[in-house]
Amino acid sequence: MSETKRMRLGHIRSAKMISATRRDFLRGAIGTLSAASFMRSALGAQSAAALRPKRKTIVVTFGGGARDEETFAEEGQENIPNLLHTLLPQGTFFSQVVNAGILGHYVATASIVTGTYERFDNFVAQPPANPTLFEYYRKGLRRPAVDAWVIAPSNGFQRIGSSSHRSFGPEYGAGVILPKRLLAAALHGSQSLDVEQLSRLLQDSYEMPLYQPLQSSTDRELHLDMLESSLQLSVQEFIQKARSIDSADELSIYIARQLMKQHAPSLMMLTLHDMDIAHSGAYSLYVDAIQRADRLCAELWSAVQSDPEYKDRTTLYIMPDFGRDSDDDPAGNGFQHHRTGGAMARTTWMLALGPHLRRNMTVDRPIESIDLVPTIGRCLGFDTASPGRIIRELV
Amino acid sequence: MRPTELVAASFDSYSRISRQFAVEHLPLLRLLPMGLCPSFLLQIQNLGTSFPAEKDSLRRQCDSLQSLTPDRYRALAAPLEALSIPEALQSMDWVNAPEGFINELTAFLWSSGQIGQFRSGTSALFAAIPAQADTNHRLVFVMLGQGAQVEYGKSLRKLSKVGVMLTSLKPETGFQEIRSAMAQHAAKAAAPYASWYIDGGIVSPETRDALPDAVVVSYQGLAKLRDRVLTRMQAALTSSGGAEQMRTRLTSLSPNDVDAAEITLDPVLQRLYTELFTQSSGPQIFSTSFVQWAGREIARRAQPQTLLLRYAPRQSHRDLNEMFASVQAPSFDPQGSFRDAEMGAYYNWIETQRITAPGKLTFMAWIEDRSLAVIVGANSPTGTICSTPMTISQALENFG
Repeated sequence: MSETKRMRLGHIRSAKMISATRRDFLRGAIGTLSAASFMRSALGAQSAAALRPKRKTIVVTFGGGARDEETFAEEGQENIPNLLHTLLPQGTFFSQVVNAGILGHYVATASIVTGTYERFDNFVAQPPANPTLFEYYRKGLRRPAVDAWVIAPSNGFQRIGSSSHRSFGPEYGAGVILPKRLLAAALHGSQSLDVEQLSRLLQDSYEMPLYQPLQSSTDRELHLDMLESSLQLSVQEFIQKARSIDSADELSIYIARQLMKQHAPSLMMLTLHDMDIAHSGAYSLYVDAIQRADRLCAELWSAVQSDPEYKDRTTLYIMPDFGRDSDDDPAGNGFQHHRTGGAMARTTWMLALGPHLRRNMTVDRPIESIDLVPTIGRCLGFDTASPGRIIRELV
Repeated sequence: MRPTELVAASFDSYSRISRQFAVEHLPLLRLLPMGLCPSFLLQIQNLGTSFPAEKDSLRRQCDSLQSLTPDRYRALAAPLEALSIPEALQSMDWVNAPEGFINELTAFLWSSGQIGQFRSGTSALFAAIPAQADTNHRLVFVMLGQGAQVEYGKSLRKLSKVGVMLTSLKPETGFQEIRSAMAQHAAKAAAPYASWYIDGGIVSPETRDALPDAVVVSYQGLAKLRDRVLTRMQAALTSSGGAEQMRTRLTSLSPNDVDAAEITLDPVLQRLYTELFTQSSGPQIFSTSFVQWAGREIARRAQPQTLLLRYAPRQSHRDLNEMFASVQAPSFDPQGSFRDAEMGAYYNWIETQRITAPGKLTFMAWIEDRSLAVIVGANSPTGTICSTPMTISQALENFG
């Protein structure tokens, strides 16, 4: 058995050790729902082949990591009323999603989108070595550039849209929108009196405290051009909207909805990141951010259902990039970080909703975060080279 | 260089006490795996500014590992010996600068996928060290909730599962009773650094006088030191390198760099106070994070007999760059602080329980000026509620 495989199995064994508790809390949470319907929706019963060209996929990650304790475990359920009571009954829930890679946000998110555990320095902005989901999708299905987008926090993530793989690369990549950079560009030189107040939306996580200032006037112009050409927003409209919202995650959702309106992309990934404030040790701010993410996910799903371009043909995947350290691990400091590499930090969950998916379904067998890419590939009809396994419950 | 190549002269640059310890334990140091030896050397280097409990703990660990039979030791060390560590790392000056090596090694273990093997290997090795028989009785108080709205059914939920929820405490003389219980307990367990009071706000002269045996530290009292660390963080923000660079810069700061001598002349405390801000995330900007982290570090390092942790309202959340710019808080968030402190108090219980023998810890978390508290002690049935009116002193007698 290879070393990598042994390591992965080791992590899965660790995940199994905590699985009983996970099963218990979820059974308690949804009761009869999990045992209820195995029926596919009417639309899902149609031929998958007929759906393929029209299917749309949205992936939302809880970047910053969220633990069971603050989400689906009994004591955390009050923080996620929308996920629990509105979205979960409409979807398939995976109670054990293992991330056996590096627990840093950029590299972990890159691993999710390449379906391969990336091994680069988390704090250096660089393209992943392996092809991304977006490149597989666009090259495999010959889709145009406006059909795949990533909306992500600023630092590092600007390179996540495409890989450095010689057979792929930016030519097949996704458009990457960094809402904080857009806002920074819009605010640059603005006469708005509330520039200082809006700067709160620009901050990054405690691990990366300073939002990366725009490097040059060209950089600013590119962002402003994206604002107007891709999102069809004037600087004034964008700043006006920013004034009305409370957090960077809300700004990201606003951008997502604007993209849906303007381009109706078929593949979109969104990373919510407010909850990474946990690194400052302020539990209340971490939980506030989870509650906000819960609300925003429901708003996004509602937007999907009310948009004819998306309604009844969109699959939404929601998953934290990983967990956070256990309260009991002496090597860590509980929710604050994800540095121990322990089972709780590596194990999290995924909720998948869509017309072809089973509703009220809970899957307790462990899957891995790198399994998502080959699964989406199978659903949409393109090949990937990911070592992840296809999640059979989703195809 | 490998640990097997260590000789007495390798430690010539160490302080006298550190060199003496290293030479005394040279046979063990030479046996240790490459990935672990520098961690021991770092502790040895720091002996001159370590708490008595840390010195005892290091000596006990070394003696225990040294006394293992060769076969047993080899079996335990094998997973760590099997780690693949590149030549470039091994050629670092890990004897004289072990901290730099440890930072680089940690990053390498993550990127090479060996962190799990390292984690399980060190756990197994340290599990072979017999637990120390600790017969001391610890008394720990946590005060929280200043200025917050308190919902009785929803407060202190995590702690209430492990102790008795007191719902009719008489709050009028609460703080006075706590100080009195602290002083009595500290007098019985008189030893250096055995008694502590950490405050997230300001300590009044009256309180300081009431705790003559305690090391008293407050967030406000360390403001100058914190300000100097924030200045360094500001400087790091304007340079390239991101979070890793920031962390490296902070952890390399010495007490001299932040003029800790202005706060205390005790070198052991100088190092502690400095590291509370340079080896942490959050205490630089939030007083609640400071109290939790200080409680954790003092429990882990000083292993106190008596400990009082008093949470105060932290500043309201603002743009991080703004918060780094000044130690002055324009506004406070008592409600958020209460929630932070509830979690902090739970972690403080976990940490003090971890260093205490079963049945030897009395832990009370009291919501200031309210009749609500949780007590966890030898005589406190877990997950119960007591609505009988009583004072804090009576609660300690009944459940402590």
